[in-house]
Amino acid sequence: MQVTEAFKHAFLKQMLLGFQASAVSTKSMGFQERKNAIKLSADVAMAVARGSRKWTRGLIAGLSEERQNRSFLRLILGEQYESLLKPCHSSWKIPRCKKIVRRSLRICWRKQKKNQSGVLARTLVEKRTQELKRLVPGGKSMDGSSLLDETLDYVLSLRAQVDLMQSLLTTFEASKLRSHSKRRLPERKASYVSK
Amino acid sequence: MQCLRAPLSDLSALEGQRACAEWQQPGQEQSDYHPYDADYCMQSLCPVETAFRALHGCNGGGENENHGNVHGSNDCFSNAWPDIVSSMHCPVVGAAASVEETSVNASSSSSSRKRKSENNRRSKENSGGSDGKDDSNCKRIKEETGVGAATPEAKRPNKRKEESADASKENDKAPKSDYIHVRARRGQATDSHSLAERVRRERISQRMKYLQDLVPGCSKITGKAGMLDEIINYVQSLQRQVEFLSMKLAAVNPMMDINIDSLFGGREINPTCKSASIPMIGMSSELLDQSYLQFGSLQHDMFMGSSDLLLRPNVNPAAAVSDTSLGSCLNVNGSSVWNTNLQNVYGVEFQLGRGTALPFQSLQGNLLPNNLKMEM
Repeated sequence: MQVTEAFKHAFLKQMLLGFQASAVSTKSMGFQERKNAIKLSADVAMAVARGSRKWTRGLIAGLSEERQNRSFLRLILGEQYESLLKPCHSSWKIPRCKKIVRRSLRICWRKQKKNQSGVLARTLVEKRTQELKRLVPGGKSMDGSSLLDETLDYVLSLRAQVDLMQSLLTTFEASKLRSHSKRRLPERKASYVSK
Repeated sequence: MQCLRAPLSDLSALEGQRACAEWQQPGQEQSDYHPYDADYCMQSLCPVETAFRALHGCNGGGENENHGNVHGSNDCFSNAWPDIVSSMHCPVVGAAASVEETSVNASSSSSSRKRKSENNRRSKENSGGSDGKDDSNCKRIKEETGVGAATPEAKRPNKRKEESADASKENDKAPKSDYIHVRARRGQATDSHSLAERVRRERISQRMKYLQDLVPGCSKITGKAGMLDEIINYVQSLQRQVEFLSMKLAAVNPMMDINIDSLFGGREINPTCKSASIPMIGMSSELLDQSYLQFGSLQHDMFMGSSDLLLRPNVNPAAAVSDTSLGSCLNVNGSSVWNTNLQNVYGVEFQLGRGTALPFQSLQGNLLPNNLKMEM
């Protein structure tokens, strides 16, 4: 994946649309509520801007599990929402002949009996793979190499998300500061004039 | 960061080639492969390739001469893209065929694409017929498919003896047929299960290499478990950063109502836009310019376009006054505006941001010259 300008543009646009949709700036809501709404729209924007990938589908599926998010998701995604919720083809099991599967398992098992040395290393890797599967959205249904693929993609998008949110933050804070200083100016002018 | 460029380009190249491999006819020459030979192959395969070339000198027979060059280039193909070798995509083989231009028959099997297991079975049969001494080490390279089997058969025992001394590696050589011919490594089993497993392992190690370039501070770690550890830590830290930033954004209250229509020209969900916020929008355009200049060209390009749309004539008089406040608030190391707590928190965040932004920037800079992009 390449993080292109188009991607960042789409990402930002989606995020701002999301902020508008959840009305974070206008509605009066508690701090936690506002924070959750911002995070939700940021995540959805990331998934939408990236397109259709295993982790994006997993992310939206994970988000839609909570009832409060569903209306927002339906609003943002529109008709795509229903199609995204359908189980994707990759999670379907590939029909395999049982005899062949059994035979190959037997061979693998026989080989494992021979080399006991790599067992410790393998369990370590297994543990960490499980952990990574928990972190990457939609990771439970992925196998080893596709998991790494999706992780790569996910890391790039996360980085883009962090950069974007950071730059948004500085803009808002800087302009807020500016508005404060601007407000002070006319007051001083007024007091000067009055004198 | 030369190393960064090539592997990631290869990842996208992989996908692109999978797509086009399905459509291309065998026998068409693919000139796309050559750029990647230089970049990726040279970095990782030089010792292997030279060793192989050296050993090739000991092979007699005219038949091998042609194969020498193809071997070299094919090594690059096969080692750079082992999963193409494993898959049944014959155009790689077909390309080799066209490059070689040997006169061996395109027989009945040329049109059909046979499975690798069948190929293995056939090779086993053939090797079972002759002495099985070398077979545990190497598979023989097949040179014919069906027709014309008689004459090469006679030569094969001789060649086996010569080639058994090879320190061999994976290599899809078959010029004539549509089989994926694989030569097993010395001392490794050659049944289809272990082959598939080896291919899978190589795929995983390739992905780990890409991730190694992506995650900062991973270049020294070599084991799979340690690498995974670092990746997990990095993903967790990125996720925590997002949480933290969303918290900070929530604290910025009130947030500005940016006029999205003017920014992007797209649809707007909430058509109501407060008129009071418009003069603030005009101000923000200047801010956007300056703040993103500080963060580097990444965001700068993005926001330049948007700021042009937002620019209003009444901004300029305010510019002079706001410069000092702007400078102070964008100062990373110390700022008189913030109180100490906020400053520390903000400073850390800035550094984190810098930490991620800079490699991000270099990544972007290196990737841009590449023409291939993965479809999103």
